[in-house]
Amino acid sequence: MPGYIKIEALRMLRNKRYVIFVVAFPVAFYLLSVNLYGGGTDAAGASVVLMVSMSAYGALAASMMSTVVPWAQERQSGWLRQLQVTPLTNRTIIVTKLVTSLLLVLPSILLVCAAAVLAQGVWLTPARWAGLILVMWAGAVPFAALGLTVGSLLPPDAAQPVAMIGTFGLAILGGLWYPVDLMPSALKAVAHVMPSFHYTDMGQSIVAGHGVPPSDALTVGAWAVALGVVAVAAHRRATVRG
Amino acid sequence: MNAIAFTDVSKSYGNVLAVDGLDLAVEAGRTVALLGPNGAGKSTSINMLLGLLRPTHGRIEVLGTSPDEAVARGEVGAMMQSGELIPELTVRELVDFVRRLYPRPLGLDEILQMADLTGLVKRRAGKLSGGQAQRVRFALSIAGAPKLLVLDEPTAAMDVESRLRFWAGMRAYAAGGRTVLFATHYLEEADENSDRVVVVARGRVVADGTAAQIKAGAGGQTVRFTLDGQAAAGLDALPGVTAVEVEEGTATLRTADPDATVAALYRGTSLRVRDLRITGAALEDAFLALTQES
Repeated sequence: MPGYIKIEALRMLRNKRYVIFVVAFPVAFYLLSVNLYGGGTDAAGASVVLMVSMSAYGALAASMMSTVVPWAQERQSGWLRQLQVTPLTNRTIIVTKLVTSLLLVLPSILLVCAAAVLAQGVWLTPARWAGLILVMWAGAVPFAALGLTVGSLLPPDAAQPVAMIGTFGLAILGGLWYPVDLMPSALKAVAHVMPSFHYTDMGQSIVAGHGVPPSDALTVGAWAVALGVVAVAAHRRATVRG
Repeated sequence: MNAIAFTDVSKSYGNVLAVDGLDLAVEAGRTVALLGPNGAGKSTSINMLLGLLRPTHGRIEVLGTSPDEAVARGEVGAMMQSGELIPELTVRELVDFVRRLYPRPLGLDEILQMADLTGLVKRRAGKLSGGQAQRVRFALSIAGAPKLLVLDEPTAAMDVESRLRFWAGMRAYAAGGRTVLFATHYLEEADENSDRVVVVARGRVVADGTAAQIKAGAGGQTVRFTLDGQAAAGLDALPGVTAVEVEEGTATLRTADPDATVAALYRGTSLRVRDLRITGAALEDAFLALTQES
C-alpha cells in the first residue's frame, strides 16, 4: 500500500489543476482578502479568521479534487480493471484513495498557515497550531468520502461539474468565503447543518482559544460516518463483478 | 496440471448468450491463441477467466483454484483490450508500482527489456504514442512474473514493426515455461505465435488444434491441375478430397491430405495430369469456413 499511496500522491502533485486550484488559489485568495478586510492578528482579527476559512476551503477543494474526477476517470479508462487483475484488493484500493486524499489536504492547510505567518505575522501558541492543523486535517474526512461517492456514481464528464458545484456549494454554505451571519435566515438554517460550517467553526474556535465545541465535532463526525457508509456502498456498486 | 479449465461455461446478458457451453483445458506451459471474429465471446471468456465477470453457468479453474484466488496470489497477469495509464506518471514509476504489488516479481530491468521500453523509462505516460502505451501495458502484465499471462487482442493499436517486436517479447516471456493465452482476430498472429489455436464462434469452440491441423481439418488445402475436357467423375472419391470444382478446363480439389490425394491422382486414375499446383490454403480460408458453418 505505501507504494500505491506514493504514486497516487505523485500524480496529483504533478497535476496542474490540482496545484492551481488547491494549492495556489487558497493562498492567493487569503492574501487578497486579508488586504480587503484590513488584517488584524488577534484571535478575532481578519488575518486569523481568514487563515482558518481559507485553510478550510483549501482542504475541502483538495479532498474533492483528488477524489471525484480521478476516481471516475479510472473506472472509465480501464486503469481500475488493470489494478483488479493484480493482487490489490478492492478494499486496499478504496482505503488508499481515502488516505491519499487526506494527505493531499495537508499542503493546502500548511501553505495558507505559512502565508498567514509570513505575510501577516499571525502567531498562535504551539498547542493552538497543533490543534488547528490536526482538526482541519482529520475534519476533511466527510469531504473525501463525498468525493469518492460522487466519483463512484458518475462518469467523468458528469463528475467534473458536480465536483465544482459541490465544492463551491459547501464553501459558500459553510461560510468559508462570506460569514454565515450575513446570510438570510433560511439560508442560515441550511448552513448550520453543513459539515463545512461545523468544520470551519472547529478551527475558528481553536484559534480563539475555546477548544473544539462538542456539537461541531459531533456534527462533522456524523457526516463522516454517514458519507463514509455511502462511499463504501457506492464503491461496491461501482466495482461489482457481474 | 491444467493452467486453465473451463467446464461447460456460459455467460448471458439478458437474452444474449455471449458464451455458450464453453469447454476448454489448457496445459501449463503452452501458448494458446483464442481465435475468433468480433463478438465470438473471446473478451467475455477472458474477463471470466480473470474474475472480472462471473459465469452464468459452469465452472472455471485457474492454476488449480478459482480465478479470484489465482489473481489474489499474484499468479495471473493480464493485458486487457483497452485501458489507459495514469498520464502524470512515468513509465518507470508505473512498471515499478505494479511490479511491487506481486510477491515474486521480475526485475525492473528485465521487464523493461522484454517490453522494449529501456529508452522510455523517464517518459510520462501521457506523452506516449499508442504503440508505446501498449508496450507499457504489456510490461505491466508481465511485471509480477505471473504463471499465466492473458492478452486480449494485444496488438490492436500497433504498427507492423511494433507487432513483430511485441511477439518477440511475448515469446521470450513464454519461454520460461509459462502459460500464455491470447485472443486475436488476426489469423497470422495465431498461426505464428501459438502452439495451439482454439477457434471460437458464437460463444463455442468450433475447432481446436495446431494451426496446420485446423487448416487441414477445414479442407483448407487445394490441388489444381489442367483437366482439358477429360471426365471429372471419380475425383471426389480420391483420398482426402472434400470438394471438387471444374471451371474452364481446370480442376480444383479441396483436400485435407494433399499428399494422399496427389499420389492417388497419379496411381489410381488414368488421367493426364498437367500443371499440377498444390496451395497450402491460408488459415483465413479455414477460419472463415469454420466460423460460418457452425
